[in-house]
Amino acid sequence: MDDLSATRSLARVVRHALIVASGVVFFVLPLVATFLFSLHGKKNELGFSAYEHVFADPQFYSTFLFSLEMAFATVVLGLVLLLPTVLWMHLRAPRARALIEGFALLPFVVPPIVLVFGLIKLYSRPPLDLVTSPLLLVAGYIVISFPYLFRSLDAGVRALDLKSLTEASQSLGASMVTTLWRVIIPNLRTSLLGAGFLTFAIVLGELTLAVLLAWPAFGPYMALVGRDLAYEPAALAIVSFLLTWLFIGLVQLLTRTKGP
Amino acid sequence: MPYLTLQNISKSFGSARAVESFDLRVEKGEFISLLGGSGCGKTTTLRMIAGFETPSSGTIHIGGIEVEHLPPRKRNVGFVFQNYALFPNLTVAGNIAFGLKVARQKKADLLARTNEMLELIHMTELAGRYPHQLSGGQQQRVALARALAPRPGLLLLDEPLSALDAKNRQRLRQEIRELQQLLGITTVYVTHDQEEALAMSDRVVVMNKGRIEQVGTPREIYQQPKAGFTAEFIGTLNRLHGVWEQPDQGIVRVGNLLLRTSPARGGLAGSPVALGIRPEALVWNGQGANSLPGRLVSTSFLGPSIRCVLEVDGQKLIFDRLNHTVGFPPKVGDEILLTLACADLIVL
Repeated sequence: MDDLSATRSLARVVRHALIVASGVVFFVLPLVATFLFSLHGKKNELGFSAYEHVFADPQFYSTFLFSLEMAFATVVLGLVLLLPTVLWMHLRAPRARALIEGFALLPFVVPPIVLVFGLIKLYSRPPLDLVTSPLLLVAGYIVISFPYLFRSLDAGVRALDLKSLTEASQSLGASMVTTLWRVIIPNLRTSLLGAGFLTFAIVLGELTLAVLLAWPAFGPYMALVGRDLAYEPAALAIVSFLLTWLFIGLVQLLTRTKGP
Repeated sequence: MPYLTLQNISKSFGSARAVESFDLRVEKGEFISLLGGSGCGKTTTLRMIAGFETPSSGTIHIGGIEVEHLPPRKRNVGFVFQNYALFPNLTVAGNIAFGLKVARQKKADLLARTNEMLELIHMTELAGRYPHQLSGGQQQRVALARALAPRPGLLLLDEPLSALDAKNRQRLRQEIRELQQLLGITTVYVTHDQEEALAMSDRVVVMNKGRIEQVGTPREIYQQPKAGFTAEFIGTLNRLHGVWEQPDQGIVRVGNLLLRTSPARGGLAGSPVALGIRPEALVWNGQGANSLPGRLVSTSFLGPSIRCVLEVDGQKLIFDRLNHTVGFPPKVGDEILLTLACADLIVL
């Protein structure tokens, strides 16, 4: 009996070790390899010269800043659009869920290239000549990040007793705007920040829309560097990876500072 | 002039009628309970008063103002929810101060009122806790204080104690009643628990299938229930079937027994009559105008009391006996005699 249980626990340990090992091989090894490769900027010498090149390139800053601005606009406009939609769906129109969930699947079904040609065709002539405006890029980004925004907000609202909280707030004299500002948004902070972070990450690396709408974004810049140089793209990949984690850290920091 | 008036209120959800022809006047300072089973329309009625639902027809007046087209925030009503509905992001003090903040009260007034409410619910030392750090009973106290803080004209409570355990429920129902009497606030209380309704209310509204069955003081509802739903719903009621023997004297024949009721409710001689008897009205070896000899069929021990079933002339009667008498109950099969006062024989 003891032998049998010892064998079983050994088998469990081996199974867990295998799962962890395959995770490491799949996720960490490529990263380590990329990082090591990025250190070979100078022949026969390990160093950060590739990173120096990356940070010395003014285009790095300009494209990154541009994408940051676009990401910020996408998060703000996306949330302004979707938060009331999700609240309306939960409070007033539960039957609209099927329709909205259908829309949330569309960006996975319709490739970005189709989306961008659709946008160009529709918005390249008066009265809606928006093709040269960054607004069209932001609109496209909102479409792409729609499933992530929706899922994150929906999960957050589901975890709240939205109806009772809204009614409690209203019976205490609050308008819908006050309720939204003082009750709903503070209680959705985690899911709002999660939605914002996902959108940020998507927009920062997005390529198709930015290239075809001809905007100097970070995605096309990375692709360009990757085409012409060897070690710098690896350094850029590591830098963008660290930036992504920086945002995750910020989100966690912001969600932990106050409240229950 | 009543503080709250509901006139001919009806509410339908699609083809389903939730509330029908509901009329009620609640005096200022009165504590009214809406009592009924699930789906009887009591919560819908309360939600219409609060403004969370719009009546399909009829009018509602609060403090003399017609309100059915006013949003909840303009009705000056405090609402306590079954599931507390405290704001998870705010502390106890933050929750209580919410309504005052929204009303833009001065900071000093806001603090004073919040502290006053905290003292009233004996939770001053827990002011800085968050709702998830409180027990169910504490959460409901905070919800009550939050609803009362902005000094509403009307307090509405939707089954506020149903999520609590029996002990907490009893303690809190007493606290709610004491608070209500202290503040003199007009209150409408929804419950499915008849003991709660009877213990707390000035008047009880018994509801069934969206309609009012009976309105009365707890004593009236219990001792003179209307035939049909109320008689069945409130408490345990024995039924005896007989015929009027001498209606002018209030005498009814049940098999070989002659029972004396209050003469005022007599019918036609020879016509059938149903009589109701509360289990606790039957007294073993006592004195009363009516005697009911019978055979003890079964007994069950309930702790503070013993519930017995007696067979009287082929009909079964339940009676309760306090668990303090040495030598009681007699054995099953024994012949015993119960007595009953005239006033305790309810003509249904």
